[in-house]
Amino acid sequence: MRRTFSILLRNPLSLLGLILVSAVVLSAVFADFIAPFPLHRGAVVDFANFNKPPEWPYIFGTDLVGRDLFSRILYAYRISLILGVVVLAIAVPIGVAIGLFAGYLGGWTEYVLMRITDVFLSIPPLVLAMSMMGLLEPTLTNGMIAVTAMWWPWYTRLVYNLARSEKEEGYVLAAEVIGASKLHVMFREILPNCVPSILTKMTLDLGFVILIASSLSFLGLGVQPPTPDLGSMVADGAKYLPDSWWLTVFPGLAILVAVFGFNLIGDALREILGAEQ
Amino acid sequence: MNTLRIRDLTLGFKGWSGTVEVLHGISLHIGRGERVALVGESGSGKSVTARIVLGLLQSLRSTRLSGLVEFEGRDLSKLSERERHALRGTKMSMIFQDPTSSLNPVYPILTQFHEVLRRADPAINLTGARARAEKALADVSITDPSRALDSYPFQLSGGMNQRVMIAMALANDPSLLIADEPGTALDVTVQAQTLRLMREQVERHGTSVLFISHNLGVVREFADRVYVIYKGRIAEQGPTAALFEDPRHPYTRALLDAVPRITGDGIPEIEDASDAYFAPTEVHEGYGEPEGAA
Amino acid sequence: MTHPLLSLRAVSKTFHSGGREVKAVDNVSFDVAEGECLAVVGESGSGKSTIANMILGIYPQTLGEIAFKGAALPGRRDLAHRRAIQLVQQNPLSSLNPRRTIGASLRLALDVHGIGEKAGRAERTGQLLEEVGLPADFRTRPPAALSGGQRQRVAIARALACQSELVVLDEPTSALDVLVQARVLKLLADLRKSRGLTYLFITHDLSVVRNIADRVAVFEKGRLVEIGPTASVFEAPTHAYTRRLISAVPVVTVAEAALRQRLTEDADAHA
Repeated sequence: MRRTFSILLRNPLSLLGLILVSAVVLSAVFADFIAPFPLHRGAVVDFANFNKPPEWPYIFGTDLVGRDLFSRILYAYRISLILGVVVLAIAVPIGVAIGLFAGYLGGWTEYVLMRITDVFLSIPPLVLAMSMMGLLEPTLTNGMIAVTAMWWPWYTRLVYNLARSEKEEGYVLAAEVIGASKLHVMFREILPNCVPSILTKMTLDLGFVILIASSLSFLGLGVQPPTPDLGSMVADGAKYLPDSWWLTVFPGLAILVAVFGFNLIGDALREILGAEQ
Repeated sequence: MNTLRIRDLTLGFKGWSGTVEVLHGISLHIGRGERVALVGESGSGKSVTARIVLGLLQSLRSTRLSGLVEFEGRDLSKLSERERHALRGTKMSMIFQDPTSSLNPVYPILTQFHEVLRRADPAINLTGARARAEKALADVSITDPSRALDSYPFQLSGGMNQRVMIAMALANDPSLLIADEPGTALDVTVQAQTLRLMREQVERHGTSVLFISHNLGVVREFADRVYVIYKGRIAEQGPTAALFEDPRHPYTRALLDAVPRITGDGIPEIEDASDAYFAPTEVHEGYGEPEGAA
Repeated sequence: MTHPLLSLRAVSKTFHSGGREVKAVDNVSFDVAEGECLAVVGESGSGKSTIANMILGIYPQTLGEIAFKGAALPGRRDLAHRRAIQLVQQNPLSSLNPRRTIGASLRLALDVHGIGEKAGRAERTGQLLEEVGLPADFRTRPPAALSGGQRQRVAIARALACQSELVVLDEPTSALDVLVQARVLKLLADLRKSRGLTYLFITHDLSVVRNIADRVAVFEKGRLVEIGPTASVFEAPTHAYTRRLISAVPVVTVAEAALRQRLTEDADAHA
């Protein structure tokens, strides 16, 4: 763990990733303390200061009802991160379990589970989420359900392939010959060897979940106003380009920073954990 | 002139936690047409020595190399990377442990043979290559060379692939052949045939051989002279018969004692590590002097 | 009447691959007596690994019967059968889970079979390590911290943990250096004596066989071609394939070379 960290710090790109991600996470966690106008996360109207370009104390400018964009971006990060963490917290265990069962047990279990997975994989993710959001109410909870539904199959694919190759390793045979249960072999023997790859993918995915959630909100299918969301902020601001450029540029940059940061770290992890195996 | 002369060769790899010394000053030589074995356990430094001779480690940034490696009188460290590259596959060639994985599975044997021949003769065309390859394969007792040439490596047996490797390695008449654990991946009966064949072929071509192996029995059957290497140091060197009949170094003795005998003398009690194994090099008279006087 | 510990009666195994039938093991019968070490010898494609896998219950035989202490072994093994027959694999690099400690790998056997009091099992893993000549505190280490020979000792300790009666040794020393091999062979021989174990020793290395086995079974292309006491098979092999196999072994002493020479001449005389 310490070694992983020291390698992360030595490479300039992964160091940049670490800085970006820390900034995103810290601003989400401490939004209440950092944000100059914490109340602006909600339905506040301040027509005296509406549509202001970046100037003190509104460092990112204000929106069309006079709310501080900087404060709203901090709170939007909080929502995006919660969304990302919750989606992965549900999708990863489901995906991993299905992948382990299919990969290790083989036969009919594998056939049925993997065909179901393929069906989900064959539908473009955004389309799947959009149709689900169309059917359900466009709320944060439903947004999470929609994104989760399209996320687990990727973990199934990943773990399925890993499990199939780990199955051939001598330690699996050893556990089987001792008489260990199938559950033990899957979750105590094979799973620990899949953890590095799963962790790497999760880090990369945190960025992508934020991006997808923003895309849904951009289309008006995600988080609803007045809750701040990066995607809907970009969408709303886009109507006033190029005059009120700050309405789109800053939320857009915020998405970029988060996605880019998680990707850099994910890539670094892939290298470090891959080399450790 | 010796085909190969190595003097006081040291090698270290620089890593995160300082430099790891792999070779602690080894010296050896191979006369023209001589078959010399470098025998040792895993981690002894025998394979890196082969890679240095092939000029593969000189340009790596993490290596610390000192000492002399002279091939046909030319100091390898004074050559450019390009010149070293030009030697490989022409004047020096190599045979690896696992023949099937060292041939490219997506090309037929002929294509790969053509590549090899082109290293020495860039103008050679496929027809010319075919003629020479057929002759070379016939030399290693492949009964239908034409069919073998049109096959892919996976269509041939391990033993056949090993013969193809031998034929390819000798196709450009190299002066030095480096054989790294040849035949270890094969069955004993096939391994025995392969070694006999390789011996015949290098004798005919007058090729010098650096034979890298951990298997003392195989070394005894193949080599004229033996260097025993232990943890980056030469423990003992001498003509094969002398060294096997009268092992003088504690490590050589342990190594020889450890080999199970088909005459059934039981399993001996042996130390797998001992300070005695670091004793100074034992040299048998005759051909084995460090300077290679004879 | 006393039964042999293990007996194979007319056992065959056919694999289907790409519409073709491959007979990996063809009508093989032999016994393994309690306390003996029987070597199963052959080259690649001899069927020796298939025999090991059937005995271990990794897959069932196509025809014939495999009996343990006189009772036929079912295709699907229960825990008692698993406990009685254990395995030491060839490659100690892959046979231990890289992400679990040595102690956890050893403890699995104790937990699965409920051997000893729960509280004492951690300590028991330490004792097992000491029995194979390793320090007890190795149990907290990952396999990566051990050398090849040390890992193979752990694999042997794992087979002992089950208190099994028959140990299938599948090329247990062929991935090891020769000095380490000698030490591991010595350990195996000592353990057999002290614990009254029975070994089925699968290998291609005839010089190892000569020094560890009581009897040898020679296989060629799925068939058992010769079986007998080790000394007599090596001194006077009756089958041409056995002679060929022994004459191909690379040797290091003059006495061995003489034996090989004699066998080669015998072979020529027969031919």
